[in-house]
Amino acid sequence: MRTLEGNSDDRPLIEAAQNEPARFAELYEQNFVRVYAFFARRVSTRDEAQDLTAEVFHQALASIRSFTWQGSPFVAWLYGIAANVLAKHWEKLGKHSAQELGDLSSAGDEIERTVMLGKAVESLLPDQKRVIVRRFVDQKSIREIAQELGRSEGAVKQLQLRALENLRQRLGGTI
Amino acid sequence: MNREELAEKLDREIDGFIERNTLSEPAPLDVPFQVPAELRLLPYLPSEEFRARLKEELLEQAESLRSSRVYASSEILPSLNQPSVPSFSTRQIAVLPADPRSLVLSFLSHAAVVALIASGIWVGHVTLVEKRTLLSELTYTPLPAAKGGGGGGDRSAMRASRGTPVKFADDQFAPPAIVVHVEKPKLQRDATLIGPPDLKLPQSKQPGDLFSPNAVIPSNGTGNRGGIGDGVGTGISTGHGLGDGPGLERGYGGGVYPPGNGVTAPHVIYNPDPEYADEARRIKYQGNVVLSLIVDPLGKVRQIRVARSLGMGLDEKAVEAVQKWRFVPGMKDGRPVAVQVNVEVTFRLY
Repeated sequence: MRTLEGNSDDRPLIEAAQNEPARFAELYEQNFVRVYAFFARRVSTRDEAQDLTAEVFHQALASIRSFTWQGSPFVAWLYGIAANVLAKHWEKLGKHSAQELGDLSSAGDEIERTVMLGKAVESLLPDQKRVIVRRFVDQKSIREIAQELGRSEGAVKQLQLRALENLRQRLGGTI
Repeated sequence: MNREELAEKLDREIDGFIERNTLSEPAPLDVPFQVPAELRLLPYLPSEEFRARLKEELLEQAESLRSSRVYASSEILPSLNQPSVPSFSTRQIAVLPADPRSLVLSFLSHAAVVALIASGIWVGHVTLVEKRTLLSELTYTPLPAAKGGGGGGDRSAMRASRGTPVKFADDQFAPPAIVVHVEKPKLQRDATLIGPPDLKLPQSKQPGDLFSPNAVIPSNGTGNRGGIGDGVGTGISTGHGLGDGPGLERGYGGGVYPPGNGVTAPHVIYNPDPEYADEARRIKYQGNVVLSLIVDPLGKVRQIRVARSLGMGLDEKAVEAVQKWRFVPGMKDGRPVAVQVNVEVTFRLY
């Protein structure tokens, strides 16, 4: 499990991105899931989570040269930006005050569990993964997925059941 | 409950689960086994499409940062004004200092929006599609030497008079003429230009050079060997041959030029907005489509192709709209010519 403690692997990537902005893509790939997971637990819809995630990375890229290496992982800096972005978002919606963000020090554990979910989905058999992604992420009906896969609706439902059982098995120990 | 019934029940639960579409009040799935609570997050996993698109946007941002002077001077860059290792305290989030310049900018932008709404100019569009030509940012593929065209004239003192081309055909029995020297020819034939017979150009009763500055005095032009124009041959225009245009031999147009080297860039005068594709709007898909096209001497758009695709139906929407655009054509030696340009269409949802 990745923690918020120092990670010297980040340093060369950060320095590369500070010299050549296009290298920020590597930091993005490395941290995307965690930043997204930060928002996924705190907003109501996927659209919101995606918009806020994009905002964080755009801000981070714009300010990457002001980042000073102090031994902490890059993702901690991103979480800081994310917290500010979220606070502003909530204030704009008038739904929460900034104080309602609460203590974010436990954010790391929550995020890591979400990251594990993503990895568990990735590790499913191709057909099972496809059904799960189309059903939950793309929110397609069983009928639509059945047509896409050229299978019966019953077969797709069975695939869905097996996929969820596998996910339960893989995540069971962490919940 | 057998597996078939279990799969049915699970699917009904999932339907309701997705319809609620909220994380704030998650409901556990009511199935005979305990689904891990984390599965409630499944509907909120990001789509791969979003992830890839965001990466593209960041690379574009990186490119503009790299090329900007701002990036070259780190002192100009605004600092986040916070430590590199943030502490997750609510106090810090709540009391972040505001930059006075941001406040001024914010005030001005809000005032501008209020003014727009009050004036009725802005009526609350949800979608704004920007478009702009990228004429100065292009690396043009070298184009072949100019082709197509013709010219003629009877060494008149006046430049050829303005008119329209005659029809194109595979053969030419009689060259076009404005000032007719043989009043009663023994064999009457329609004047033609050599070129594809299906090539349609503006037609009128008055033959002539479509772009000639001489709109008053009838003249076959200063060229020679017959035809109309200031070139050579039995065609029309300043070229050399039996067609129409500043090029050679036959056909029309004089080839396609890139802007620069004496060729001016076309200037858009009518550019209706593209529509947003429904699917792209639904998932808030944004980005840029770059189209490569030719603006012909009449200012119309020809031969559009997608140079940088965006997908999700937005390429097609961009092509559909740009096809209707009209330009002031590019000019070479005072005459309109076909010019290849790229056009960038930016799709943004606000």
